[in-house]
Formats: sequence, structure tokens, C-alpha cells
Amino acid sequence: MSLLHLSFYSSFILSCLGLAFHRTHLISALLCLESMMLAMFIALTILPIEAQTPSTTLTPVFMLAFSACEAGTGLAMLVASTRTHGSDHLHNLNLLQY
Amino acid sequence: MAYFVLLLGVGFVLGGLAVASNPSPYYGVVGLVLGSVVGCGLLVSLGVPFVALVLFMVYLGGMLVVFVYSVCMAADPFPETWGDWRVLGYGVVMVLMLIVGVVFVGVECWKTWVVTVDSGSIFVGRLDFSGVAMFYSLGAGMFLAAGWGLLLTLFVVLELVRGLSCGAIRAV
Repeated sequence: MSLLHLSFYSSFILSCLGLAFHRTHLISALLCLESMMLAMFIALTILPIEAQTPSTTLTPVFMLAFSACEAGTGLAMLVASTRTHGSDHLHNLNLLQY
Repeated sequence: MAYFVLLLGVGFVLGGLAVASNPSPYYGVVGLVLGSVVGCGLLVSLGVPFVALVLFMVYLGGMLVVFVYSVCMAADPFPETWGDWRVLGYGVVMVLMLIVGVVFVGVECWKTWVVTVDSGSIFVGRLDFSGVAMFYSLGAGMFLAAGWGLLLTLFVVLELVRGLSCGAIRAV
């Protein structure tokens, strides 16, 4: 494996772990999600560079557009949660808790 | 020169670690900005400056700006940063897990070279410019689908923040 590939693999895995072991805030989990999207963007850009195929350069640009949609939707849910519960703490989302 | 690219790769991992150790959101955004700036430097060093500029504009200039002012709603009276033992514990354990994973795979199979755009031969028509220009020629259908998806997301967001009243503007 190339060491460059190791860098974005480990960044993606670390952000996944950060999303799984979230602490207090919903927005920290959304930031970990954004970091995963960034690692995926870099990974998708390495493909056209190494395979020398220009048409696959479109893939990271589309991925960025759709991840912007996802970020906007996540922030809208953050706003909705703050309006309902007063804060964006994750322990407020406890409807399914026994 | 390849070592400079690998150094930028290390900076990218540090940016990801800064976000993943879950400090107060004020400091998590710092990690994300570091990660995206270093990622842009990485892409420029590999020879695709157009994709790096797209990342800067859309990610850093669009999405992170929206995140930064949404962090104002998640205000902590006493924010925890990386000097706090809770955040530092998360960071140290994650780095340990990363090192254990790398050692488990085996260190002797790592290659320290980097493939750039001009590794084969020098091109006059650049890879990233000509690739993204296919947006408007062969990729026009996907372009329209992405535009429709973005318009749909606008309505999704407006519906999510509507709340009980009928206006979109409301004090939180």
C-alpha cells in the first residue's frame, strides 16, 4: 500500500471512530461526518491521478455537491433539535430509550 | 519531493484526529479547516489544482462557513479543548488504535513513492480541467440530476426548519 493511501484511509477511520464515540454535541458528530466526506473526496481524486483517466475527475466534484446537500440537511435537523429541546445535546434524543 | 507530499498526508491525518477526538465544536472546526487546507495542498502537489480549488470554494468557503455559524447555537459556557484530559484521552486512544492497526498489517509493505499526474508523460491538456469539462458535454445528464437534487435539498431544508409557524424566519 502507498503511504499516501494510508493517510486518507486512517483519516476516514479516525472520523468514523469519532462519529461512533460521540460525546455531547450533535454538531461534533456532524463535523466528524464532514471529515469523512473530506477523506472520501481526497480518495476519489487520487483515482484519476493514478489511473490517468480524466473522466473519473467528475466523481469527486459530484460527491462534493451531494455532501453539501447532506451537510445542509444535517444542520437543518440540528436547528430543529435546538428548537425542540433547547440545546443540541445528544442525550436529549432519547425517545427510543427504555 | 515525495516526502513533502507524505508530510501533507500526515497533516491530513492530524486534522482528522483533531475532529475525531470530539473537543468543543469551536475547536473541532479548527481541525476540519486544517484538514481541508492540507488536503488542498496535497491535491496541488499531485498536479490537480482545479479540483483543489473546487474543494476550497465549495467545502471551505461554503460548507464550513455554514458550520461555523451553526456552532454558535452549540455554545458551551466552558469549552473543552485539546488540553483537557477528556479530549486528550480520546485522541491518544485513537492514535494507539491506528498504530496497532498499522503494525498489525506489517510495516515493510509500505511504499514511499507518490504517483502524480505527470508520472507517465507531460500533457498539454491538463487532466483535471479536461475531466471536469466533461460535465457540460458527456456528463450533462448527471449535471442536470445533480442540479435537481440540490434544488430538492433546498426545499427539504426549508421544510425541516419550518417549525409550527408558517414563516421560514423565526428566532430560535
